[in-house]
Amino acid sequence: MKLIVIVCATALGCAAQGVKHGEQVFAKTCATGYCHGPRGTSSGAPRLAGRGFNENYIAGVVMRGVPGTGMTSFATKLSREDLTAVIAYVAMLNGVTTSDAAPDTAPSGPALTGEAVRGAKLFTEATRGFGRCSTCHEVGGFGISVAAPIAQVPMSVAALKALATPDVKTATLDGQSMPALVLSEGKQGTLFYDLTSAPPVERNAEPGSVKFTDGSTWRHSSVIGAYTDAELDAVLAYLRAVT
Amino acid sequence: MLVIFLQFLLTAGCALAQDSGATHADWPHYGGSEFSWRYSALDQINASNVRSLTPAWLFQTGDYAENLQATPIVQNGVMYIITARARVFALDAATGREIWNYRYPDPARSVPGFVGNRGVEVGDGKVFFGTKDNSVVALDQKTGRLVWRVSVDDAQQCRCNISAAPLLTRDKVIVGGTNGDGAHRGYITAFDMKTGRLAWRWWVIPGPGEKGHETWKGDSWRFGGGAPWLTGSYDPALNLVYWGTGNAAADFYDAERVEKGADKSKDLNLYTASVVALDANTGKLRWHHQEVHDDIWDYDSAYEVLLMDREIHGRMRQALVHMNKSGLTSVLDRTTGELLNVFNVPDLHTWMTGVTEDGKIVGRMEPVLGKTMYVCPSAAGAKSWNSMAYSPQTGYLYIPVNELCADVTPNNNPPEEGQNYMNGDFPIKLPAGRSTYSHLDAWDPATGKRAWTYPYKYVLLASMLATAGDLVFTGNPEGDFWAFDAKTGDKLWSYQTGAGHRGASVSYAVNGRQYIATTTGWHTSVVGGAVQALFPDQDWRLGSTLVVFALPEASR
Repeated sequence: MKLIVIVCATALGCAAQGVKHGEQVFAKTCATGYCHGPRGTSSGAPRLAGRGFNENYIAGVVMRGVPGTGMTSFATKLSREDLTAVIAYVAMLNGVTTSDAAPDTAPSGPALTGEAVRGAKLFTEATRGFGRCSTCHEVGGFGISVAAPIAQVPMSVAALKALATPDVKTATLDGQSMPALVLSEGKQGTLFYDLTSAPPVERNAEPGSVKFTDGSTWRHSSVIGAYTDAELDAVLAYLRAVT
Repeated sequence: MLVIFLQFLLTAGCALAQDSGATHADWPHYGGSEFSWRYSALDQINASNVRSLTPAWLFQTGDYAENLQATPIVQNGVMYIITARARVFALDAATGREIWNYRYPDPARSVPGFVGNRGVEVGDGKVFFGTKDNSVVALDQKTGRLVWRVSVDDAQQCRCNISAAPLLTRDKVIVGGTNGDGAHRGYITAFDMKTGRLAWRWWVIPGPGEKGHETWKGDSWRFGGGAPWLTGSYDPALNLVYWGTGNAAADFYDAERVEKGADKSKDLNLYTASVVALDANTGKLRWHHQEVHDDIWDYDSAYEVLLMDREIHGRMRQALVHMNKSGLTSVLDRTTGELLNVFNVPDLHTWMTGVTEDGKIVGRMEPVLGKTMYVCPSAAGAKSWNSMAYSPQTGYLYIPVNELCADVTPNNNPPEEGQNYMNGDFPIKLPAGRSTYSHLDAWDPATGKRAWTYPYKYVLLASMLATAGDLVFTGNPEGDFWAFDAKTGDKLWSYQTGAGHRGASVSYAVNGRQYIATTTGWHTSVVGGAVQALFPDQDWRLGSTLVVFALPEASR
């Protein structure tokens, strides 16, 4: 809930208003008595939070009820607005992030147009497997944040290919060398990403067992080879629109 | 002791072919052995003394987010167990004393659709497991310290995760993933055990230009499901990995993925609803056998694969046995994929009238858009995800069978990546005219005949364990833990463990003492929850406790 409150306090138009309203409906309708308890934590009737329910399932139960149980149909007991809101709220309790419920998962900022739309799709395109940008970059709530957040978008595809990556060092562990991105070095051990192949592997080396030297043979240009230049142009357009 | 040991070696040598899938003092893998029999060759506890079985120790995990679904692994007197929230424990298997524990950090971002963790695997001095945010993690076996972690996919996008135990080969750790009912394209991914580096990925659905791609209509392959969400098996001699793949998506509506008028006696939407054999080194497909062409009932062939050498139709075969949710059970030659035998296990089957010897499904009753059809078995499965067991002594499979049906109403919503793409409502119903809704069966895979059956009032959703003591163990939702005579099906012993069973039982030995361990704690995920709604007067208890039994010290 904390997240929702923060979002409501800051985001223009408060995208989570539907869920907020759903929370109120839930509190006075579903959480009461021996039913589902505050925030769906159960108070006699089954717990609803964190159950893996999706919106279709929740909507089905809310509209039809569960025969032979205390769960009656709410189809005519609540207004359409209340029904939509409470379904979104229970979905949120199950980690389902609808466009209303979770602005943190949808690319935020101004609506994307043209090339940027195409770029957004290319950035995370599932059919590319580990060859997609989101294997190492998180943008707008999607992707794995191996690399630091993208602060500066290269001016051109040529600049993207020539990108300097001073953070990538060469690690030597068990007599083997590998390109590495250091996460932390401490008494408990050293955490780093092994960038030898995609996807990167987070490794935890025993204290003193790994040595790093500056520079590496790793090049950003060698991991974006699955994209054409035109596709990379679109990706850059997307990144410019959202960063 | 030496004499006994030698005798054991001799026995083991003679029985090798028949015994290759048995476990001994250890319970090394999710399915017991790599052949997934869930059968222990230990016989200290047997039909004559099982009545004096008594709790030796308990372990409460403290993680009650969901129940304890994991199959424990035992190696050299140490048990490894994982909870729903990926808390891993190493325990002294004789006493339950904690040796180390590891808590996987809760993912920062919410992850949908996760129901628990079904187990770790142990090998190469490491403990491996999958996570709800789609990572594979390796811990140091001795200390529980993190060794490596690799992200298999972005859970936020695919809404998939890894709830099953990994499968280990000689040098690789292999995982599937969930969300076969979502707009997602399933895959199996193998990583190098030592480094965590990618070894290979096999997409269940072939991409453009690949063989099998032509069995998909238009662009439907992109979101066609097929997720292999459970654990496969491994034959080290053939170096083949066997896996069951999930149903095609959309589940209950096929017009987007199958051409109109397609011949449904032939392969469609490959390689969903299939058993596949993959080269363990490369991930290349060796053969496939599709069990339900155009699976439009969510019959999902993702279940366990049992590898066994058996005489079938008068000839010794390197076989495998595989059941899908419909209850159709196939016996295949595991070197070629040739169908040797097929039989139907549940009593109720409205989805078809029968199956021919060569595996053709006769009288398909397919859900139709805009209509409601009563379908048995339901998508909850004639068997749930929990595993059957196989005893080479009796030659029987031990299967927990549920007799549930559903009112299926298809719809035709378009796919949206990662989102639910079942395209159907399917409220589960109790079939009329029955007073029991499940049964524990013994089946002979060579003949396809049932040897015995034990009816039970509610549902059976825990894995089976068979032992050389001619015993079969499992638990029920009410909390009873049972031992049956493996030959006759007579119930010999029962113990109330205090919470419902939705996990697994294993057997192992430490210092010559045999133990039977079972996980307890009812589960509340969609299918479990829906099933519970069918029995509203029942209040099956949640929990997360390992209960371990042995014979009293004096009686051994």
